Amino acid sequence: MTFDTLRPLVLPLAVTAAALVVLLADLALPPNSARRGKVLGGLTVALLSGVLVASFVVDTSGLAAHGAYVGNAWTTFFARLFLVAGALGVLGAMEHLEAHAPRRQGEYYTLLLFSIVGMMIVPGARDLLLLVVAFELMGIPLYILAAYAKTDAAKTRKVSDPARAFDAAEAAKAPHAPAAEAAIKLYLVGATSTAITLFGLSLVVGMAGTTRLAGLFGAETPAPITVVGMMLVLAGLSFKIGVVPFHMWVPDTYEGAPTPFVAFLSVAPKAGGIAALVVVFLLGTGGHPGHWTLAIAVLAAASMTIGNLLALPQTDVRRLLGFSGVAQMGYVLLAIATGNAEGLSTAAFYLAAYVFSNMGAFLVLHAVAADGGTHDLAGLAGLSRRSPFLGLSLLAFLLSLAGIPFMIGFWAKLFIFLAAYRAGLVGLVVLGSVLAVVGLFYYLQVARAAYMVEPTQAAAPRVGGALRAAILLCLLAAAGLGLWPAPLHESASEAGASLSNSLSTGTPAPVSPGDDSQ
Amino acid sequence: MIAALLPVIVAAPAVAALILLAIPSRYAIATRVVSMAGATVSFAGSVLAAVHYDRHVGGLQMPFDLPLIPSLGVHLSLAIDGWGVSLVLLTGVIIFAAVLASFTVQRRDKEFFIYLLVLVSGVFGVFVCQDLLIFFLFYEIAVLPMYLLIGIWGSSNVVPEAGPFRFVWKIFDVGGREYAAMKLTVMLLLGSAAILVSIFVLYQGAGATTFNLGVLGAVPYARTTQIIVFPLLWMGFGSLGGVFPFHTWSPDGHAAAPTAVSMLHAGVLMKLGAFGVIRIGMMLLPVGAAYWAPTVGAVAVVNILYGAMCAMSQKDLKYIVAYSSVSHMGVVMLGAATLNATGWNGAIFQMFAHGVMTALLFSLVGLVYERAHTRIIAKMGGFGTIMPGVATFFTLAMLSSLGLPGTAGFAAELMVFLGAWHGSHAWWTIPAILGAFVTAIYVLRASRAIFWGPGPSEHFHDLYDARGVEWAAPIVLAVAIVVFGVWPRLLLDLIDPATIEYLRDFASAIVRQP
Repeated sequence: MTFDTLRPLVLPLAVTAAALVVLLADLALPPNSARRGKVLGGLTVALLSGVLVASFVVDTSGLAAHGAYVGNAWTTFFARLFLVAGALGVLGAMEHLEAHAPRRQGEYYTLLLFSIVGMMIVPGARDLLLLVVAFELMGIPLYILAAYAKTDAAKTRKVSDPARAFDAAEAAKAPHAPAAEAAIKLYLVGATSTAITLFGLSLVVGMAGTTRLAGLFGAETPAPITVVGMMLVLAGLSFKIGVVPFHMWVPDTYEGAPTPFVAFLSVAPKAGGIAALVVVFLLGTGGHPGHWTLAIAVLAAASMTIGNLLALPQTDVRRLLGFSGVAQMGYVLLAIATGNAEGLSTAAFYLAAYVFSNMGAFLVLHAVAADGGTHDLAGLAGLSRRSPFLGLSLLAFLLSLAGIPFMIGFWAKLFIFLAAYRAGLVGLVVLGSVLAVVGLFYYLQVARAAYMVEPTQAAAPRVGGALRAAILLCLLAAAGLGLWPAPLHESASEAGASLSNSLSTGTPAPVSPGDDSQ
Repeated sequence: MIAALLPVIVAAPAVAALILLAIPSRYAIATRVVSMAGATVSFAGSVLAAVHYDRHVGGLQMPFDLPLIPSLGVHLSLAIDGWGVSLVLLTGVIIFAAVLASFTVQRRDKEFFIYLLVLVSGVFGVFVCQDLLIFFLFYEIAVLPMYLLIGIWGSSNVVPEAGPFRFVWKIFDVGGREYAAMKLTVMLLLGSAAILVSIFVLYQGAGATTFNLGVLGAVPYARTTQIIVFPLLWMGFGSLGGVFPFHTWSPDGHAAAPTAVSMLHAGVLMKLGAFGVIRIGMMLLPVGAAYWAPTVGAVAVVNILYGAMCAMSQKDLKYIVAYSSVSHMGVVMLGAATLNATGWNGAIFQMFAHGVMTALLFSLVGLVYERAHTRIIAKMGGFGTIMPGVATFFTLAMLSSLGLPGTAGFAAELMVFLGAWHGSHAWWTIPAILGAFVTAIYVLRASRAIFWGPGPSEHFHDLYDARGVEWAAPIVLAVAIVVFGVWPRLLLDLIDPATIEYLRDFASAIVRQP
């Protein structure tokens, strides 16, 4: 095995190395050093940025691991997306960790990096085993992270052992342990959905006799067992993505878990879930996605409708953004339901837009709540006057989420609607654009709290430098790419186009195990 | 230099808003100077555009093009024709006056100017944009800041419970400023949803390579497509243009809005809707427009009459002016529905005339409200003796509203009515003129009740006339009313060539209809 066969995997490998570096640095640094958190966080961000830069330099296209992994523009796009989300997630969490878990910061970053490694492998996986392993690598660290800053009464207690995260069930009995409750919910739902996915995959693989995507389906109509299996996989993945009717964990977890972590959880793993969905349902079906797009379209319609409607009465902004996230994923599924390369590229664009808008909104929320505020609408009262920067940022993120022009979210929705319209999903486009107005209603309720309600306290929330930087980066990206969407659109189109030969041709995807074996 | 004129007009208010962001809010004077500078640059630019526009050549002039998303064919392409010049001029006059009228805003004034200026950038953009998608973007920009402007700086009204939708009172604070703001935003954005879907149809039907209005206008869309899509555009844009029955946001919105916002909204934003119906709906879908024109005209007549009737039964001064806008926008739509040169000239002229007149009315209502703290007409009376200046301007605006010869309103309504008479449905003219008659009744009645009659009650003895900078806005607007009323050719020379050109395209599209 030469380096060349590993080259497509160089980005995830680099992040793995980064995770180890952070772990070692954590060991090397004196435990009581005051600068520990800054050093570790800064190191993580620097390493992630380095890999991000490398992604523009290194050519990662090609087959790796005997065709089990394919690198192309699509995987590179998602890799960058995860790297950016990871870096923003670390920046947003630094001060929070320093305050609530000063001795366990290195592990947080390491776990986050491992999760990112899993995410980065998912979009290029062409073997179901690799897909499942990568997917679990993405998911398991998240269960731990969700419980990370649980009230933290005993500061000496370590949760470095992943198995200890399961103890969260006990912590949930404690009077105030929302993080533990959130973690156990995330874990139970995650484990259940993994089980469902695996069961479904076992049926599919059992019928096909291979774990390679290329061999899963022939041109003939799938057997009933295969259909059942695929529906189970769809249900399992829908849990992860959080779309109706598998969405109820989303608002609960968002409400309970530490907000900087939710900022990350609400974007990156969902993009990972979407990537997995694309792998199994569009690439795996060998150019015959037609059988499944109806199911995906139904989920899209249900998510857009239910998510938007259930967000309306929420007063806790985390829950509101949770339900809005359900709706947003509905829009992404609408793009997937087109089943063509253009739709996929719009989905990629949408997810990128969603990273900046949704993370930004959560980080602003965190900034307000961290300094003695609350996460509900009342806590945001008069934010624009307490801190014009936070107020303006929040408004920008909300408008972007709502899909208002000159924010990136507008282009994201526009491109998806256009692609869906071209694919003939006119009814869903109408439904989606009407529901976008409903969405605007509740986003404006948040903006109303920040802009129209008199502030209950005058002082601006104290915001740490790293958190401020993360919010500013999100703001610049959401507004800058909103004004000039061409670069992102080009690269998303390229990403979608790189999948097109596995989509448009009637034959199975051109990935065969013999191609690169030596 | 002229080539960059349009981008400058569009960008100046937005740039001023960006500069405002950097100014600490305690510097009230600097805030006003910067806002005024932004508005002045746009105003001067629009006058310059009107002067430089070569009316003998006609067509689109001063083009500016910047590819935004080349792979989809989205270009930021600006150019201006005779209609655009008139409406840009209108916007320039009104933003100039509106910024002046906002000098008295005390609370969170910096933010107020920021939203106001961003909104105006959007309005300018719509009038000069030649790319359908960017047109839509600017349209949204022009609509959305309204939510904050009304929600934060608006005033709440008491609206008595009535009608079949009485249950709404239990859920919402009907008449409250936040209710008005939300109602306006949601109704207009539902319209936008219809527009967006229509844009997809048009773009895809033309081969999905460009959003350029000129190119799309030459595409012969199938007859069924046109007949299905035109009403979508008509209702979508019409919701902003105050088309019955999608006008219900407008009285609440205008009444709740602060002075400058009412001026802009009734003066310019409603025109965006009517402009959209004509420029996008009728020019891109001529066959659909011809098919639906009888409906558009009939609904416009309903607008005129129903709006006037509603205005007559209002007790709140701002609601009267707001409903009169609904009525007058009906005149614009009636002119558009005639599909002949006189009618279209009248429609565009009425946009200008009504814009200036209603802006003047709202600015004066704002002045009266600031002093008397009431808008209920029954409580007023005899204000003319203590605020003679305001009374004079108010009367002038009211007379233009009822179409008195010598004011801009007369020329506009005359052309529309003539056009309607010569059109295929001459009967439209009769109820429309009846509407103008009703207008005269409520206008004169309101004017008398507020300014004339027995002197003001004890309660209002400390009122005073407009002072200092407060004069500026009424004077600018009143001059426009009189100048363009006495000498309508000044504007018609700009409007007419564009109308002829558009009408020629329209007629040839009908002839070669698929």
